[in-house]
Amino acid sequence: MHLVAMAAGFALILLGLYGALTHRNILRMIVGFTLANTGVHVVLVSVGYMPGRAAPILDGAVPVGEAAARIIDPVPQALVLTAIVIGLGITALMLAYAYRLFRARGSLDIADYTELKW
Amino acid sequence: MVSAIFIIAAGLGAGFLIGLLREEQKGAAFAVALAALGFMAWVSVSWFIALASGTAQAHDIITAGTQPPFAINLRMGLAEAGLLSVITLTGLASLIYMAPALHALGRRAFAVLVILVMALSGLVLTRDIFNLFVFFELIVIATGGLVLLSDDKRAVAAGFKYLVVSQIVGILLLIGIIFTYHAGGSLNIDDIAAQPMAFTGAGLALFLLLIALIVELKPFPANGWALDIYESAHPGFSALFSAASATAALYAADKLFAAAGPDWLPLATVLGLVSFLGANLLGLAQRNDRRLLGYSSIGQIGLVLVVVGQRDILGDAYLYVAGGILFTHAVAKAGLYWISGLVPGRDLADWAVLRANPVLLFAFAAFIAMLLGLPPFAGFYAKWDLAHALTGADRLPVLGLVLLGALIEAGYLFRWFGFALKRPNPVAFPGFSTTGFAVVLVALAGGWGLGFAWGAGSVHGNLLLAAPLIFALAFLLLEPLPAWAKNILAIAGLLGWVALRAPEYDPLHLVFALVMLAGGAVILLASFTAKGERLGFYPSAMVMYAGLALLIDAQTSFQFFAAWELLTIGSYFLILRGRESEPHALSYILFSLGGAFAILAGFALASGGLQPFALENLAAIAEAGLPVAPWVFVLLALGFLTKTASVGFHIWLPGAHAEAETDVSPMVSGILLKAGLFGLWILLMHMGAQRLWGVDLTYLLVWIGALSAFLGAVLAIFQEDAKRLLAYSSISQMGYALFGLALMNHLGWLLALMFVINHYVYKSMLFLAVGGVYHRTGTKLMYKMGGLITLMPFTFVSVLVGIIAMSGVPPLSGFGGRWVFYNAIMSSEMRLPVVLIFMSGPIAFLYLFRLIHTIFLGQPKDEHRKLREAPFWLLVPQMIFVAFLIGFAVLPGMVLRKVDAYIGGHFGDEALAWSGRTITSQFGYWNPVAIMLVIGAIFVIVLALLLMMNRNAQKVKQFNIVFSAERPFKPQTTHFAWNFFAPYRKALGFLEAPHVTRFWGGITDSLHATADFTRRIYTGNGQTYAAQVLVFVVAVYLVVLGGVS
Amino acid sequence: MSFEWIQLAYAALTVFIVINYGLIMTAVVQKIGARVGGRYGIPVWQNYIDLVKNIALRSKISHGVMFYLGPVFRLTGGIGLLLFVPTIYGSVMHQNFAFAGDLILALYFVFFGTLGMALGAGESGHPHAAIGVSRGLAQVTAAELPLALAVFAISLQYQTLSITEIVAAQQGGIFNWTLFTNPIATLAAMFALVGTMMRAPFDVVVAPQEIPIGPPTEYHSAYLALMQTNRVLFPVAKTVIYMNLFFGGASNWAEFAVKVFAIYMVSVLVGVVHPRFRVEQSIRFFLKWGLPVGILAILVV
Repeated sequence: MHLVAMAAGFALILLGLYGALTHRNILRMIVGFTLANTGVHVVLVSVGYMPGRAAPILDGAVPVGEAAARIIDPVPQALVLTAIVIGLGITALMLAYAYRLFRARGSLDIADYTELKW
Repeated sequence: MVSAIFIIAAGLGAGFLIGLLREEQKGAAFAVALAALGFMAWVSVSWFIALASGTAQAHDIITAGTQPPFAINLRMGLAEAGLLSVITLTGLASLIYMAPALHALGRRAFAVLVILVMALSGLVLTRDIFNLFVFFELIVIATGGLVLLSDDKRAVAAGFKYLVVSQIVGILLLIGIIFTYHAGGSLNIDDIAAQPMAFTGAGLALFLLLIALIVELKPFPANGWALDIYESAHPGFSALFSAASATAALYAADKLFAAAGPDWLPLATVLGLVSFLGANLLGLAQRNDRRLLGYSSIGQIGLVLVVVGQRDILGDAYLYVAGGILFTHAVAKAGLYWISGLVPGRDLADWAVLRANPVLLFAFAAFIAMLLGLPPFAGFYAKWDLAHALTGADRLPVLGLVLLGALIEAGYLFRWFGFALKRPNPVAFPGFSTTGFAVVLVALAGGWGLGFAWGAGSVHGNLLLAAPLIFALAFLLLEPLPAWAKNILAIAGLLGWVALRAPEYDPLHLVFALVMLAGGAVILLASFTAKGERLGFYPSAMVMYAGLALLIDAQTSFQFFAAWELLTIGSYFLILRGRESEPHALSYILFSLGGAFAILAGFALASGGLQPFALENLAAIAEAGLPVAPWVFVLLALGFLTKTASVGFHIWLPGAHAEAETDVSPMVSGILLKAGLFGLWILLMHMGAQRLWGVDLTYLLVWIGALSAFLGAVLAIFQEDAKRLLAYSSISQMGYALFGLALMNHLGWLLALMFVINHYVYKSMLFLAVGGVYHRTGTKLMYKMGGLITLMPFTFVSVLVGIIAMSGVPPLSGFGGRWVFYNAIMSSEMRLPVVLIFMSGPIAFLYLFRLIHTIFLGQPKDEHRKLREAPFWLLVPQMIFVAFLIGFAVLPGMVLRKVDAYIGGHFGDEALAWSGRTITSQFGYWNPVAIMLVIGAIFVIVLALLLMMNRNAQKVKQFNIVFSAERPFKPQTTHFAWNFFAPYRKALGFLEAPHVTRFWGGITDSLHATADFTRRIYTGNGQTYAAQVLVFVVAVYLVVLGGVS
Repeated sequence: MSFEWIQLAYAALTVFIVINYGLIMTAVVQKIGARVGGRYGIPVWQNYIDLVKNIALRSKISHGVMFYLGPVFRLTGGIGLLLFVPTIYGSVMHQNFAFAGDLILALYFVFFGTLGMALGAGESGHPHAAIGVSRGLAQVTAAELPLALAVFAISLQYQTLSITEIVAAQQGGIFNWTLFTNPIATLAAMFALVGTMMRAPFDVVVAPQEIPIGPPTEYHSAYLALMQTNRVLFPVAKTVIYMNLFFGGASNWAEFAVKVFAIYMVSVLVGVVHPRFRVEQSIRFFLKWGLPVGILAILVV
């Protein structure tokens, strides 16, 4: 199961990057990166998954003493939460940039913004 | 001691606090940011001082009350403290510098800046890779915010491209992190086990982590996005981006490389080298100042990455070397970006406005010197140690490439400085912002401070404490004084130093000290002609003399090399002062630095990486017959030959010497060229003849000397410009001296020494004389003059004596040189090169006669009829030289006898016998007093006869000459001067073909063409950049994989 | 060798003899040339007449100090060259001032008069003088080269730079002369002799037809007299060096007279049968023919 998830995650990453690199529209690029980020998140979670174990919530079902042997690794899940938040921040910033670019030039084509080169 | 956690806390706190303020409370926002950054800087610096002085220990900061790896820990060590100091201080300075722009953007901008500095600090402090990621993303966001500060509309697009690439880096980083965690079960850097460079599981994860961090360092060629930011962002931010962001990212990479184990270091080395060379090469084609600085930044970070790759061999010196380069770069680059913010235009030549403020110009020069690792700055010590470590570990290709990259960087940086100093000032200049200026000054002080600190930490002693250098630098502070006052001080300093040191020198060193330093004082007499303050002259000249003084004193290879670089820099600035000397000064500094790098490599090779290395130890290497010995010889000789402008490396000389100022020409010709001879002397004295592939290298040197002597003379006769003529003649004369030295016998060396003395005297004298003529006529073209003998009689006398002495005609001192020459070649086995020397002797007559005839004889021009004699102070040293030449001609023993004995001690023979006034060799004899008396007596008798017969000769007017049925009426048609040796050109003009110039020109042209072609990979399209990053990662992966399997 | 005052008188005697010899010899050579051409030619005392006439000339002008000093330099160069070389081997009287220096002194002193003369001519402001100097200097760089190499070769051969010792080494029979012991060096030197005697084909410097007599154009009266004196003295002084180096020297004045005349005639003979070279032609000539012989001389010695 987790291998499927991991494969799906990598597939999403590649798909997202492919999209970001082939679409010249800035908004589509951003969507591509969001997709890729989602893929990364899936990979993260899938790495922490261990078959046959419980969610890392310490309650009656999983006594503290046995936790280490019975729950999946909680760290990747914690990481994923952080990563999602940060990803959101970056996506927001990119969208803000897209807005400013559009305001400045009336175009969302990335190929229109090549004055800086060489 | 305040815990380092408060650096993060203060940053975050200030960020939130500013967020709470109302929009119009910008002043308060600025105050909060200032206080926060000030506090952060204070904590960092106090830690740095405490750690560096040993009063505190490095320690780990545990968060959340839990031990790592279950909680994030931060580490504060010496390296971290140093980096934090740089980052926070740069942040503070940039805050002040950018305050107006930040105000315009609103109070949140202040918060973003504080957060950026906080995140950079966090990147340095943290020991947790996920935390690393978090700080990294924070930096991305803050950077994205601050790029918008710029007035440049294009910055928005640049910021977007940056975000696109950051997304990719973020993805790589996250995947790398999670798999590293998966492999090791820990997110703590200290728990990452060293991995072999194999691509299974943990290895691949580590690769992803490392490559993500390397991409963050903007490696060539996956770095177009960074260049766009550098070009378009606010310069205050670019300063941060280059000095702080790059520094922090580099440290993050370093932490992981340390954890990953030695297997991965070659990756850093190779990628670093590619960046360093690639970025510097592409920098050649740049015209935009900020983009150029961006290229340079990328290159320098690449260089530090190379150092990271050498951490296995650097050992304890690692921090010293990496820090020396990194910190110097940070300070210099920040300083340059800050200056760029003060310059209104974006073209390199627009920096000419800096001439309005000499302090800024000085700062510009100092920053360039820092970037290039020139003494006395910190990078110099680091570069030296790096070179020695590399040779010690036999990583010579790395050393070679690093030096090559540095040379290319020197090329565009010094060209730029030339623009600033020489190009027309393009705009009416409004004046510099005071705060900006102050911030630049802080960077400048920081750079010097670093230089001092690194010097204090060096095993070789602190260059900034060397008396001659202190004396020279003191002239910076004395600049407001009038030139004459500074001149008196300079002369007193030179003479005082010689008097102080002379008792300790052996005769050989004494002669060099007298020629270079006492001789320098004599030439400085001519500088009394200058009016006003003469800004820049004395610091440059005195740095050159300080270099020369230290060169003579040098005992170890380090001292020698440091002195060599100092005199090179000083003389470069001196030469650059000439009106038309911009391109010539550039070619001078490039040849000199190329030569200096050869010397550095040679010394490093000789020492085998062990320091300090005494110069005498060269002899031990030669005696032991080590296989490196001939290579050491070749490298050192190459370095010295660039300074003596031997044929092949001579093309810088004519322009540099001819276009220099009147009193500078004799300094750089009469004195500076001798530094090369001095080096060769040290080399040959200690290493003797070396053989490479069965060829005796001294034999090669003999040929080079002979060719230089011949070609220099041939080229001299075809010059129309008097100073160029003299300059080519210097090439020829140095060829003679090199020839003598390379003969490797007693008389050959004596010959070289006579040339050291004689060439100094007559070349200085002639340059001053011609300079005086130039002063009056305003032209250096000889055919525009004529008949000046009656108008400038003293100058004429000095030229007359000078050319008689130089041509070797008895009775003046040049003849002694010729006599020694014949005796030297008779004791040598060399035959064929002698032919060239024989030929160059008479050819010297041609150009010398041309010099005196076309200027002083023939027909005076109408516009020159009212000329006055050259200025008094130009004549004073000339007359001293005239007196010396005559004295030296009659009594050569007063100088030569002791040196003769000294050289005899070296060769264990006694080539000359000094009995009474006669000097006898194995083959012949020479009595200078008798020669002088006989010639004098005959001359007087014949003159008396003529006076008796023709005492009543009538002086006639200019055109009263017997002519072929014509009546000449204008001097232009009657003065035979232009293309004076036309028949010679017909016969031997093919020798004039500029093959060497074409060769070097071809190299630089192809470098430029490559640069201009290659930089087109930066299309400006964000998608291309992103694709480049991905291709780069994959390519590196494949190459590494190929390397492993 | 030490100096005694009587040497001054001896030296004066040498100069006196050589000047008179030169005055007559050059006239005789002229005369021979004329007779070969079927003309009557000048009387052998013609040079004396010219000298006296020039000295007696009443109009005397000067173009300046260097102009005035030019002939002085010139004649000093000639006399000095003569006196720095022992004229008669084995004669105490005619060792002259050879103690002041060896062969190298003589070789370099050759240029003293040339240089001074060129400077004096330069100040006259006459373009023809400057053109002559330009041609002369250009030519001499190539022409002197074989001599320099030959001298190097024979000083290596004899392992000395002292002229007296070189002559001494050639004593004891005609086959001890350098001419026979080292014919290549001698041949090389003869290229230089022919090239520097101001005779055809290498006389474009004074170019008697096209421009009035090159460097001396503006010189007249006593100036010209001094230069004429030098023009008879200097070739002899130079020939003496050749004689000493390659032809066994002379142990008495008779031998001197014969040898100098014979050596001088070499250049005369070459001159009368060859047209004049332009400067670049003579440079090429010496580089193509003289230089290889000279190089051969130093390689085989």
